[in-house]
Amino acid sequence: MTVLKLNVLELEKSEYTGGKSSLCPGCGHDQISNVIIQSAWENGIPPEGIAKMSGIGCSSKTPAYFLGKSHGFNTVHGRMPSVTTGANMVNKGLSFIAVSGDGDTASIGIGQFVHAIRRNLDMVYIIENNGVYGLTKGQYSATVEKGSKKKKGAINRQAPIDLCAMAINLGCSFVARSFSGSKKQLTALVRAAMSHRGMAVIDVISPCVTFANNDESYRSYNYVKDNDEVLHILDYIPHFSPLEEVDVPEGEFAEISLFDGSTLRIETVGSDHDHTDAVSALSAIHQAEKGERHVTGLLYYDPEVPTATDTLNLSETPLVGLGEESLRPSEDSLKGVNDRFRS
Amino acid sequence: MGSALGKERAMGRIANDFVINVATANGTGSQSSNLIILHSMFEMGVPVSGKNLFPSNISGLPTWFIIRASDRGYQAPGDNTNIQVVMNKDTWAKDIEDLEPGTIVIFNEDVKLPVDREDCVALGMPMTKLARGVAPKLARLMCNMYYVGALAHLLDIDEGAINKAVASQFKGKEKAIELNIQAISEGRSYAKENWDYECQYCVESREKDPDTYLIEGNEATALGAIYGGINMLSWYPITPSSSLAESVIGWLPDLRSDDQGGSTCAVIQAEDELAAAGMVIGAGWAGGRGMTCTSGPGISLMSEFIGLSYFAEVPGVIWDVNRVGPSTGLPTRTQQGDLTLLYEASHGDTQHIVLIPGTVDECFEFGWKAFDFAERYQTMVFGFSDLDLGMNRWKTAGLQYPDSPMDRGKVIRTQEEMDSISNYGRYRDVDGDGIPYRTLPGSGLDPILYRGTGHDEDGVYSEDPEVYHKAMARLRKKIDGSRTHLPSPVIREEDDKQVGVVFYGSMENTIVEIDDILEETGLSVSTCRVRALPLHPEVEEFIDRHEKTIVLEINRDGQMYGILRKEVPADLVPKIHSVAYSDGMPPRARVYAEKILEVLNEGGA
Repeated sequence: MTVLKLNVLELEKSEYTGGKSSLCPGCGHDQISNVIIQSAWENGIPPEGIAKMSGIGCSSKTPAYFLGKSHGFNTVHGRMPSVTTGANMVNKGLSFIAVSGDGDTASIGIGQFVHAIRRNLDMVYIIENNGVYGLTKGQYSATVEKGSKKKKGAINRQAPIDLCAMAINLGCSFVARSFSGSKKQLTALVRAAMSHRGMAVIDVISPCVTFANNDESYRSYNYVKDNDEVLHILDYIPHFSPLEEVDVPEGEFAEISLFDGSTLRIETVGSDHDHTDAVSALSAIHQAEKGERHVTGLLYYDPEVPTATDTLNLSETPLVGLGEESLRPSEDSLKGVNDRFRS
Repeated sequence: MGSALGKERAMGRIANDFVINVATANGTGSQSSNLIILHSMFEMGVPVSGKNLFPSNISGLPTWFIIRASDRGYQAPGDNTNIQVVMNKDTWAKDIEDLEPGTIVIFNEDVKLPVDREDCVALGMPMTKLARGVAPKLARLMCNMYYVGALAHLLDIDEGAINKAVASQFKGKEKAIELNIQAISEGRSYAKENWDYECQYCVESREKDPDTYLIEGNEATALGAIYGGINMLSWYPITPSSSLAESVIGWLPDLRSDDQGGSTCAVIQAEDELAAAGMVIGAGWAGGRGMTCTSGPGISLMSEFIGLSYFAEVPGVIWDVNRVGPSTGLPTRTQQGDLTLLYEASHGDTQHIVLIPGTVDECFEFGWKAFDFAERYQTMVFGFSDLDLGMNRWKTAGLQYPDSPMDRGKVIRTQEEMDSISNYGRYRDVDGDGIPYRTLPGSGLDPILYRGTGHDEDGVYSEDPEVYHKAMARLRKKIDGSRTHLPSPVIREEDDKQVGVVFYGSMENTIVEIDDILEETGLSVSTCRVRALPLHPEVEEFIDRHEKTIVLEINRDGQMYGILRKEVPADLVPKIHSVAYSDGMPPRARVYAEKILEVLNEGGA
């Protein structure tokens, strides 16, 4: 008899899965969906407490493929952050997990991306970044590297928009880059992002197997595997007894305490990256870009930034939980209001 | 001093029936002076209205303020100016040139420009020089108080009323109150001593109803939203709607703080109108009452989201305070130009509920009701206001407290409620009224992935032709069902059903005067003020009962007329005629009345 594994809420992993994917077989996005399922399950987040958000594009279709017990909103192209903002304002108790693509975020939605970061909206913002527009059949997006070449067409000659560098410059409280093929690193980052309070941006390089998985593409599986500049080894340790033991590393390591009491353990390898220093993070991004490589790991972290709802000094109770007695001022108060207009 | 300074005595005095036009430059503080005139008359119980015609500019461009006293209660700008105050050198010549013979011209002598109209009464005062005596550094602002004094003298405005208006204008700023009262008083004395002229116009105190209040439409709407339980306001600054958002912000601390001082409404100044609309939809999706306010250009930007709200069935409220389009248009002028834009906003087949207040009382009422309709019909509900209604002060007998509890619509909140519905689906019409039930994020009850793509009754993606066709038919049925629940038209009907006038919105403030002008010609005129789209069946019945119906509106193309032509039965179409006119000005009665007569005469009425 097989004993099914249960998480801290005594839920099976199947409580966190979704519908069958309709993406191309081998798509990086499906691996990310699996990581989201795994992370939410292992973190023991109640599925009903999650809101799945997305814009438009291949990536934005994926909320149909994970967390089937959670409400979700596949909004309009590039405007997922504003819908998330509105929902967060009236129900700050929800855990917002959003997926977007490079077209959705770096082009049509760049304004909303910027302003959601600026407000430090409490959400996990995963960019499934493949450098091409998949649903419209393979046009370059604004994140594709100069010199990179998709399967058909000319080499891209324009400079890329680096969404992590942008997020760091905007004071984003949690900025990471990963690769859909690095399951362990990505899972640790997504789990940490889910434990973070505030905007957590994870830019995930996710190869497009149909339009840009050729070796001349800087975002093909082979290229990313060979050119992944890993900053550090990450282990996520939950605030409750984990499903699996985490080994204590032999070398040097640092620990980050996350908002919910969980820990992200950072084991130094190669470089000596300081995740509290924006300049160091930007430097790592630029060095990697110069060397035509991808830097991955937790680039920047600042737990002190107040969230959008903190700044607004909202009621402690999420606003959707308030009844008419809290929302409609008394009849008496209207007399006072009228008096102010007495001429 | 002007040459036409008359020594003649007016034959009879005309009380409470005149129009004052004050021409100044923007940013010179004249708004305070104008409001003091307005409020002091109001204080005396005189029925008076004020209209600010201002430029899209912070400082320096011309601005006019029209004050009309009318015992008959007319609130439109009158056809002619009776007293013209000229302060602005840039418009001086034209302001004077356009006057009708006999107009009284009060001018600032220190501008050193001529008043070369022998047929007018020119009354000059060295306003800047006098103001320097009171407050040397503030002379540019203070000189405006001298025309207040001049008018107070000419029109017999009560000193106590003036002082009260000054005190209310400069609330708590003792020094400012003192200086301004001094300036007004000097202006009054100067006029008395130097002008040997008795003005035929005057104000006469009327018994003042103690329960009369003056409020701007935008502030009334803002308060309506607050009493309607607004949870989130997202907005992007745009004239003439900004003051609506700023009023919400201003009133929230007093009216919507909880015991711990936390706010029960979030306010976000969005990065653009697209984001503002997205936030409204996010709030509505999560179960809150979200709203934004904007003007035409903002609606254009929001259109994609409006379609999402319609198709995914997410409640939300958008107030459109109309200004003159197309494009950037005349940003500080008024129009009813966005009616069709709102009614059918976004691509594909859509139709939206539009609430159209005509008074500040209705701005408040529709302000709170908009949320009830939005949640009841799970769709975007528009408020249709305009610059004239929104940014001018209008009389009210006091805003009325909501007479019904909040309607939160068909929301399933518990498993028991869910169990009591057989065959639940997010988009399944189980009650036969076209309105499905919904569950909220966080509830764990039958969650779906909301989407703007085609979906079946369970919310699952579908491109099936039958599924799509059925879904669109249900949406139509749902919105159609609102017709009899939305505010019904206000009908003032004559026994003789000769001419009916269908109109809407801020035209309410001119319609009585238009009606009087028409009836002077012997016509019998009934009126029907539409207060919501889709149209209430009573509108069609009104048209049916009348020989001819004029559809009167402040735009070029006759937008309501177009809607009526499309929606009334074909046999009624020949009975309806369009009178649509727009020049950016608030509607003047005679302009519209003459156009109505032209159309009636064309048809051989």
